[in-house]
Amino acid sequence: MIRFLNLSNETFFYYYLVCNLMYLTMLIIALKTSAMHQRRLQSISPDWIKGCPLAPPISILVPAHNEEKSICPAVRNLLDLDYPETEIIIINDGSSDKTLQRIQEGFCLRPVRTVYVPQAKTAPVRGLYRSEVDPRLVVVDKESGGSKADAVNAGLNAATAPYVCVVDADSVLERDALLRIMVPVLADPKRVVAVGGIVRVLNGSEVEGGRIRRVRLPRKSIEAIQVVEYLRAFLIGREAWARGNMLMIISGAFGVFRTDLVRTVGGYRASAIGEDFDLVARFHRYLRDNHTDYQVQFVPDPVCWTEVPSDFRSLARQRSRWQKGLLDVLWPNRDMLFRRRYGRIGWLALPYLWLFELLAPVVEIGGLITIALAAWLNVLSPDFFLQFLFFGWAFATMISIGSVLQEELTYKRYNDWRDVARLVNLCFLEHFPYRQLHMLWRLQGLWQYLRGDMTWKPLKRQGLEQASTEEGDASPVEV
Amino acid sequence: MRAILAAIVANLLLLGFILLRRTYRRRYFAKHDAKAFEFRRNWDALISGEIAYETWRAKRFDRRIVEAMVLDAFEAAGLEESARLLKFLRDSGLIETQIFEARSHRGWRRHRALIALGRTRAPEGIPALAEGLRDRAVETRLAALRGLERMACPEAAKAILDWVAGEGLRVPALPLQTALIQCSAERPQLLLPYLQHAEKATREVLGRVLGEVASAALAADLLQFVEDDLPELRAAAARALAHAQPHLAIEVLSKLTEDSVWFVRLRAVVSLGKLGHSSAIPALLRGLSDANRLVRLRAAEALIGLRMDSVSIFQKVVELRDRYALHAYLMALDNAGLHATLEGEVRSTRQLSRPVREALLEVLRTDSLPVEQLPPLKTSAVAASQP
Repeated sequence: MIRFLNLSNETFFYYYLVCNLMYLTMLIIALKTSAMHQRRLQSISPDWIKGCPLAPPISILVPAHNEEKSICPAVRNLLDLDYPETEIIIINDGSSDKTLQRIQEGFCLRPVRTVYVPQAKTAPVRGLYRSEVDPRLVVVDKESGGSKADAVNAGLNAATAPYVCVVDADSVLERDALLRIMVPVLADPKRVVAVGGIVRVLNGSEVEGGRIRRVRLPRKSIEAIQVVEYLRAFLIGREAWARGNMLMIISGAFGVFRTDLVRTVGGYRASAIGEDFDLVARFHRYLRDNHTDYQVQFVPDPVCWTEVPSDFRSLARQRSRWQKGLLDVLWPNRDMLFRRRYGRIGWLALPYLWLFELLAPVVEIGGLITIALAAWLNVLSPDFFLQFLFFGWAFATMISIGSVLQEELTYKRYNDWRDVARLVNLCFLEHFPYRQLHMLWRLQGLWQYLRGDMTWKPLKRQGLEQASTEEGDASPVEV
Repeated sequence: MRAILAAIVANLLLLGFILLRRTYRRRYFAKHDAKAFEFRRNWDALISGEIAYETWRAKRFDRRIVEAMVLDAFEAAGLEESARLLKFLRDSGLIETQIFEARSHRGWRRHRALIALGRTRAPEGIPALAEGLRDRAVETRLAALRGLERMACPEAAKAILDWVAGEGLRVPALPLQTALIQCSAERPQLLLPYLQHAEKATREVLGRVLGEVASAALAADLLQFVEDDLPELRAAAARALAHAQPHLAIEVLSKLTEDSVWFVRLRAVVSLGKLGHSSAIPALLRGLSDANRLVRLRAAEALIGLRMDSVSIFQKVVELRDRYALHAYLMALDNAGLHATLEGEVRSTRQLSRPVREALLEVLRTDSLPVEQLPPLKTSAVAASQP
């Protein structure tokens, strides 16, 4: 038993070390990449792209299921975007609330016969509408297919542009977001097949008429901690992976894809839990199988602001769903692991996701249990344990502060120094007990997946303008 | 223990850096704003040279502010103001400085200088920008290309075309096309000699550019490309013919609506629609039955855009007995908000016999083709408009 404990503790130690070294490497790559990007931006003005006659049209697909609170501001926001040619396709995915009525009232819809080729199979479509106020707005009313993927596929069938941009209905895009996200496509349209933009936390900021008026950090700590997480995930993780053309996830809240390629790979997998991750994984597989020279890129400046869960129950549901989605994609694609054909995806990106994302909750919770067991059996060296704990805390904090620094160096959306001070403070505090709770939720997600529990539990939403201006319940959650 | 210390020191350094940077930036922008405000207040005196150039040119901080303000002013300036600003740039020596920087700097400083030089639209900057095109680094070449794009003049187009003719495609096609479109819009005939001697990839790019900038004046020149091997050139010719005289263009465009490449057919159909002549109707009806849905849709839009003989055209569409064609037509009708108008016209027309009228109204109601062929036409403007 003691030998087992020593062995497992040693394994956990090295696991932790390798994991943090990878984070550190990613931080360094991300800092360098975004510095380069900043320099490059000095010679590219979004206004020039706006005037570019060859800028390809984009179909913006917005799946909406029970989004009556946020749909109208979201549509207004999308209609206001700066881009030469867009069509906005809202997919009312069998909403049981007044989502469709709200759009009808706000944008004077009338039934139309529009091009709808059911190339990707979806739940039955009930009707197609176009706005009389702005003909760029098309609404696909369909029965619920039980997944976001099904709704996006319906939008894909109606899309007529060579690029599709998938946006969540509870998100707000910055006005020049499309111009910025299309920069890599315009620079090299033959090779760039998909581009992801950055998603940031909307809660706490001021939104008016579907536009961000002022960026603020949310009051509630549970929301503010997610700001640190999002910064870390996007400004470090995605930036670094994209640098090596190994980006595996383009957020479902904001990404641009080549329409023909999405159709070629069969659209979104309707049964996928993490449909965004699944699509990008299938892109990599298809393009590498066909020996195509391609790029999946990430651009850190086109910002999409999204509402994040503001209560523990919703957050737990979201995180366990993400973990289920991860396994749901990694398992069917396990044959890509360590295969020469899949290059760095099979040798680096996927093994990383298996080891340090999928198995992280198992390892961390397992580590905590063995530490407790070792302490109970009196074989734990308190000095070593405390040193390891302190080092782990300081190192993980450094990575988080690195992401705040990255934000400061580049995009600097939080102008108030008190917001930055609070962000830094949360970098120190997030490790106890939020991190452990987070691991438990993820472990729960794995367990649910293995049990075959694929139910989609709705998250509590406040709507765009409410979520942003809500002052919270005035009872900050201790983390 | 050392590892812990290293991690703590790293944290402190990061925090210190964030704090120092914030403080520095606050002071920098306060100083910058104050200076910019001062220059703005004395703008006319500054531009006219009343304020001696030496007072600000020697200080790098001041020079950068003046430079940025002048370049921004260029963006919104009319002809007279542009000339005044350009005179100021020349007299103050800013142009020479920018040319020097665009030639001598390296890396991102050179990129910035190249863009800034392009924004001045001073022709003397073109040679320095053309040098940038020949740089080894693709980023520098792109910056030079963007600089030339900002010049938006035929001389800049010539510099780009000479470079492309000599070195081939050394940047991605899209930025090159965009730059050429901006620069050759004024004199598109510049492209023709280069097109004749270019190799395939470059020809494709130039063909697309020509498709965007071709004008009526080029229509006769472009007729030589109607049967070119390169579809981009056939498409360019089709686009240019939209501005030509209908008697010259319709026959050629009708032929192009039967091209084997879809975007050539698309261009031809769009151009026929722009000509707005009744003799284009048969070719547009053929486009309505095209295998490509975008061609069908554009043909339908073109037919509806004609705003003539709507009932006869609709009857012809139904007689095609092609449900894809009918679908495209009805969709375009809906998008134009003319569904009810057409219904009213069918109801009130005296050109049609009652069974035909009923059949057409039924099609409008049900969006589907009648089971039987329509009875023959009484009269039809469509039939009379054969070319």
